[in-house]
Amino acid sequence: MGDDYSSKVEELHARRKKNLAMGGDEKVAKQHQRGKLTVRERIDLLFDPGTFVELGLLASQQSVRGGETDSDGTPADGVVTGHGDVDGRQVWVIAYDFTVMAGSMGAVGEQFKAARVRELALRYRKPVVWLLDSAGARIQEASGSTFAGTGWLFADQVVMSGVIPQVAAMLGPCAAGTAYIPGLADFVPMVKETSSMSLGGARLVKAATGEDVTDHDMGGSQVHCYESGVGDNEVGDDRECVATVRRFLSYLPSSNLEAPPVVDTDDPPDRLVAGLEKIVPVSPRAAYDVRKVIKAVFDEGTWFEVKPAWAKNIVVGFARAAGNSVGVVANQPMQKGGVLDSDAADKAARFIRMCDAFNVPLVYLVDVPGFMVGSQVEKEGIIRHGAKMLYATSEATVPKVTVIMRKAYGAGYYVMCGKGYQPDTIVAWPLAEISVMGPEGAVNIIFNKQVEASENPEATRAQLIETIRAQINPYLAAGWAMIDDVIDPAETRRVIVKGLEQARDKKIDRPWRKHGNIPV
Amino acid sequence: MTEVKAELVGNVWKIKTQPGAQVAEEDELLILESMKMEIPVTAPRAGTVKEVRVKEGEVVKEGQVLVVLE
Repeated sequence: MGDDYSSKVEELHARRKKNLAMGGDEKVAKQHQRGKLTVRERIDLLFDPGTFVELGLLASQQSVRGGETDSDGTPADGVVTGHGDVDGRQVWVIAYDFTVMAGSMGAVGEQFKAARVRELALRYRKPVVWLLDSAGARIQEASGSTFAGTGWLFADQVVMSGVIPQVAAMLGPCAAGTAYIPGLADFVPMVKETSSMSLGGARLVKAATGEDVTDHDMGGSQVHCYESGVGDNEVGDDRECVATVRRFLSYLPSSNLEAPPVVDTDDPPDRLVAGLEKIVPVSPRAAYDVRKVIKAVFDEGTWFEVKPAWAKNIVVGFARAAGNSVGVVANQPMQKGGVLDSDAADKAARFIRMCDAFNVPLVYLVDVPGFMVGSQVEKEGIIRHGAKMLYATSEATVPKVTVIMRKAYGAGYYVMCGKGYQPDTIVAWPLAEISVMGPEGAVNIIFNKQVEASENPEATRAQLIETIRAQINPYLAAGWAMIDDVIDPAETRRVIVKGLEQARDKKIDRPWRKHGNIPV
Repeated sequence: MTEVKAELVGNVWKIKTQPGAQVAEEDELLILESMKMEIPVTAPRAGTVKEVRVKEGEVVKEGQVLVVLE
């Protein structure tokens, strides 16, 4: 009987070994030739050593219509699932294995394995990370009208949205069936060259419209991280991609029921910020790189920019203030003068809502000439897009600190958490210009007739501009106590840290509603 | 050949290069003025300026070619 026992146990080990080998040596070698890591190498990088617990290793394709199946060909059914620790905190993973039927989503892998991860991650309120490298739905299993029973994954993602962080790491192709996973995720890093996403893959596009295009040209990181804004951060390779996922998660709590983790820092909370006078020009017309201000103000080495290459006229990302996670929203004068346009509003609104959902306080660094005006932006629907940012900033109930560095004009001031948007602390630098519009624009509207009637219109105009300019200074706003203080720029860090500390026990009650109607 | 285009509507405030000039990546080619901001337009790559297609004071549209590099 002992032999029987050991042979049964041996069978188990043999089955495990076979499925751990993924699609076999040849497919694995091909994966490496493409510059990609295997699914199991990626998981090793994602989790703290020795913490990965796999569910469904022994899964494989099953006969769904009573016909033959080649279960030998689909170890783990092409998707590795389970959980492990990221910096000591539990995180769940759904990782597609391109060496097994091109990582296609089969009935077992999707309806049982991935579904179980989504269910358990939500049950325990832990983040989900998708490592995407998949040809999409496994058409061999799903080409008929049994399609009627599919699609829960996106409904599940919507239920998880704002409850647990969702990351879709793009490490290979991701077409059709899988492309809405990143579409609904909170963070989407993309590997340069090897990753792509599109609602229809190249072959489907050819059949549907006749367009000749490759998956990469249509949906690579050069499109999504630079033009469409669907991708967040372009990364060089798989290793960097997984490291970026870990970094992202470090700023967020495991769920909306928790506060983000606090880390130790050597950077003193009351440090005076040196060198801002060398970064920020006094002339409100002149440009500079606001990221230099962010790096100087927040805890050293903690700045993590999100969507750095898209809608660059606004800068968003995570940093830490005295060890506490914060979401930074800053105008970028170096790009388009820092003017807000449709994409910038869209980018900021989504980031603000993510921070608010996950209890990450917001810090607004304001230097904005306003929203872009003109016929071009009206055709784009800038009112609708700008309203998203207005909505997100109003809606956010996390602690909010507003620092007006230089310009705060028009609705640009509002969406950057002006006084009306209930900031917990709102201060201005001595350089600040808060106004409905610049003096030049104001003179054109208010004094148009006087200027036209003048014998020397240009001189009159210039004189009126100076009259109005004298009314634009932070002491008028501070005199009315509309802002809390005017601060020495060097005090910015201390004021932010104190402002966040002041608002730590913030609680805002609003009227019951099913949900608001954000102008999406 | 690389066309350097205007990112937004504005007027050409200062031209800081001329045909034949050698430029490095990130060198300022001209400064646009829009929304009361000075908006530097820089070279996307190193090269020689082949053409400057605008004049100071001219109003340019979003996407309009300002400078051609080769």
